[in-house]
Amino acid sequence: MTWWCAASTDPWSWTPRAYPGIWLFMGLLLAGYLLAWRLAPAPDSEDRRKRWAFLSGWALLWLSTDWPLGTLGAGYLATAHMTQYVLYTTAAAPLLVLGLPEWMLRRALSRLRAYRLVSLLARPLVAGLVFNAVLVVTHAPITVDNLRTNQFGSFGLDLAWLVSGLLLWLPVCGPLDELKPSLPVRGVYLFLAAGLVPMIPGGFLTFSETPLYAIYELAPRVSGFDALDDQQAAGAIMKIGNLPLLWPVLAGLFIRWANQERSTPPKVAAPSA
Amino acid sequence: MSDSSTTTSPPPPVPDDGAGRATDADTARIRLTALLVGVTAALVLAIGAVAVLAGGDDDVAADPNDGWHGTLQGPTPRPEFTLTDTDGQPYDFAAETEGQLTLLFFGYTHCPDVCPGHLSILTGALEMPGVPQPKVVFVTTDPARDTPERLREWLGNFDDDYVGLTGTVEEVAAAEQAAFVAGSVRLDEDGNAVASEPVAGAASAQDYEVGHAAVILAYTPDDQSHLVYPFGVRRQDWAADLPRMLEEFPAGSGGAASGGSDDGAGS
Repeated sequence: MTWWCAASTDPWSWTPRAYPGIWLFMGLLLAGYLLAWRLAPAPDSEDRRKRWAFLSGWALLWLSTDWPLGTLGAGYLATAHMTQYVLYTTAAAPLLVLGLPEWMLRRALSRLRAYRLVSLLARPLVAGLVFNAVLVVTHAPITVDNLRTNQFGSFGLDLAWLVSGLLLWLPVCGPLDELKPSLPVRGVYLFLAAGLVPMIPGGFLTFSETPLYAIYELAPRVSGFDALDDQQAAGAIMKIGNLPLLWPVLAGLFIRWANQERSTPPKVAAPSA
Repeated sequence: MSDSSTTTSPPPPVPDDGAGRATDADTARIRLTALLVGVTAALVLAIGAVAVLAGGDDDVAADPNDGWHGTLQGPTPRPEFTLTDTDGQPYDFAAETEGQLTLLFFGYTHCPDVCPGHLSILTGALEMPGVPQPKVVFVTTDPARDTPERLREWLGNFDDDYVGLTGTVEEVAAAEQAAFVAGSVRLDEDGNAVASEPVAGAASAQDYEVGHAAVILAYTPDDQSHLVYPFGVRRQDWAADLPRMLEEFPAGSGGAASGGSDDGAGS
């Protein structure tokens, strides 16, 4: 038994595999969140919505990490690896961020003395750079081939994805207003950081003539899926897999901006003397 | 659990609660900058370390295989054996492949990992532009289950031009011996060798694995094998080695026999 998903030479089968480390991590995450609610200052009408958002994000995170998707992504299919990444960063992470009430995040950052660090990292320029640096580094063949083959490395990759995803979304939908730029800036930031840049590494995967990842090329085949086809599909997922999630958010941001502009009274020029 | 940070504890000298009450902004900026530089440096170092650790394979000077991606070995002659192809016709390996770049693989169609993996990677490499097309010959090590029809169908998943050979257990064993590879054995559930012939009619007769040499033997136009390729060789490795084989081991360059096609590559 292994505690976290890592590459394996065993032929793929649909027999479930147990990863106690994943269960422990997910259990601690949920327990920490629920226990933190006991410190809530006062009931709020948004509380229920936030809890559901967090629980949905938590469930998606578990689905992306554990068997079968986690196992397939760790050592069999590049498409599963990329699906995991998209789910982590554009589905689970924003829901987890939406599920954080302001008092909880402020309290956590205060206790960890991490407010200044997070406020720096959550600046759109910095968050965008960090997110894409993590994207490029964690999808480089040298990183994947060396880290996915052991449980600690695999855990580190998953954690890097989660943290970079949380950072990406903090300026967009985080609970701390002082970290959020104006609505149009948020839209442009999200489009550039999460929509545009990933198309470049995605293009490398799609148009490469040979499989770039040794672990997926040498892995026992799953349903006869060729390694190069698998990699090209993974590249397509990296390029456009997040669009169904990203575009509605972008549309929402710009609609809110338009409404905001409409409700702002127009400036009237002072009559000249 | 109590909310000590807001009700009972005195505020820290430099609060870090997001209220924007830093008492020494310059110090904080310096600390933040140092932290950022540290994190960036650590990231760069980590990537560098990974790159260095993984980059050792490129040290050709210390490579006992002289830059080849297979294992270099003392040349062995193209083996002589005759088995039956998937059309039921006798196939004289040495005569049919003489002077041609040939890849010989002993395996079986029920193999769960190495055989389909090896052939899938090789097939992918041979589809790359500019890669010479060797003759690929697959000899079953499981003649009890690998009927000619099944062998043809399975090889067709990779390439219809691949030659599939079968025979009796004794004939296959003789072919393995001629090619200087370890003899294949039927394995039980624990991986221990058992009788080579499955028990006819038994429920478990169709559910066993076969231990076999997991290497592809490369025979060059000089009718010798200088290289064997264990599992783990990638497409780009084949694409680099196959043209080099034709350059370094042309027909008549020291082998026991010569002839065949002009460039040594098969159909």
